[in-house]
Amino acid sequence: MEPITELVTPPSKERWKFWLTALLVFVVVGAAITVPIIRRRMKRAARLQQQSEEQARRELVQTVPMNPSDPRVKAKLFWLSDSDNSLLAPVAVELPLSSDPVLRSKQVLNTLLAGPVDVELRTLPPDAVLLAFYILPDGTAIADFSEALATSTPSGIASEQMAVDSMARTLEANVPEVKRLRIVVHGQEVETLAGHVDLTGTFVVHTEVSQPPANPSAPVPGAAGKVGGILAPTLTAGNSAVKLAQR
Amino acid sequence: MVVLDPAHGGTDLGARGTGGIQESDIVMEFAAEVRKALEQQGFQVVQTRQANDNPSFDDRSAIANAQRNAVFITLHIASTGLPGTVRVYVNSDLPAVTTANGFIPWDRAQAPFLGLSRKLGDLVEGMLAQRFKGSPDAAQTATIRQLRTTAAPAIAVEVSSVVVNDRADLDHMAPGVADAIARGTVAFRPLYVVPSTGGVQP
Repeated sequence: MEPITELVTPPSKERWKFWLTALLVFVVVGAAITVPIIRRRMKRAARLQQQSEEQARRELVQTVPMNPSDPRVKAKLFWLSDSDNSLLAPVAVELPLSSDPVLRSKQVLNTLLAGPVDVELRTLPPDAVLLAFYILPDGTAIADFSEALATSTPSGIASEQMAVDSMARTLEANVPEVKRLRIVVHGQEVETLAGHVDLTGTFVVHTEVSQPPANPSAPVPGAAGKVGGILAPTLTAGNSAVKLAQR
Repeated sequence: MVVLDPAHGGTDLGARGTGGIQESDIVMEFAAEVRKALEQQGFQVVQTRQANDNPSFDDRSAIANAQRNAVFITLHIASTGLPGTVRVYVNSDLPAVTTANGFIPWDRAQAPFLGLSRKLGDLVEGMLAQRFKGSPDAAQTATIRQLRTTAAPAIAVEVSSVVVNDRADLDHMAPGVADAIARGTVAFRPLYVVPSTGGVQP
């Protein structure tokens, strides 16, 4: 009877092939297990980096510090009227506003974005961020918003027009240096806000609104000076003073 | 001729309600009703889309711009507003500009027609207000991309809204909306005098 070792052990010249095959199998199995894990971790790392960049950018651009030493004024913010959601109504909010028109514009627009006490009356989506704001020498303001302005504004003629009108009216009431408004998204011109209202032009920000309330039962002047009170005639999409300026 | 535009389509669903209601679907149903009502009044009707596709704003306008005496009506369902009401919109003022050879630029094609659009819008909104209480008495103004490049009396009709609890609530409105649009368009016909513009230059 032959020794058992000779039956189970390959000859020495075949042994290296055995170990090489075993090594290759080990490498292939190991790669099959680890590569997807590494890929997932890389994707997660990239996502985290993207998020942190987005977060950092938001923190940089969103914070428009209000200087407590600035004079506190009753800013007029235009949100939906609580008596008729198809109308805009100004609400007096006491804020320390900068005298610098760009800073002041950012302050009032960020307050507009933050929304009123009653969230049902907001005109702009809560996740939209004002990324940048400039005023050109001719009085044209450029407001650059995050994509959420386009993706989160309810799609529709009325809702989109209200969003634009609320910005234009708020700037008109608080920043006389702004004559026209151009809205861009992430620095890019977009054709519409959410499928309807045209954003390819600039909106004229009229300096005076003298239209009477369209609805006799609409809020009327009388609560002036009271925080949260109505200060001026209510605007409707129909008598809105916001128009596209010359291209 | 009436050019009827069911808005959105294809990957652009438009306004979406919580119950799976999509503006791009509903406007097709409204368009079928409006078309039927207009044809009963003797109008030739052309639709900007027949299926679930999404022609560009310019392609939709081009259908009306190629005609001498078209009326353009774009149909929408809103995300907001009092359910059961209907609003008609005309475009905000655009400065009218003509080139040296008498053409009007494509991107301001609506400018010479704004007065006519206002008349058509008020007539249609007046008819709608009689049927749908809570609707305005006159057409509203908005800066609507689709209307800006349309060289014809052009209005947008927006029905409220996709947030109704039951899709049937919207379906029940379609015949009334169609009848009001047809009646308003009939009333507008004698007022329609085509403004003398040399044409539209792309």
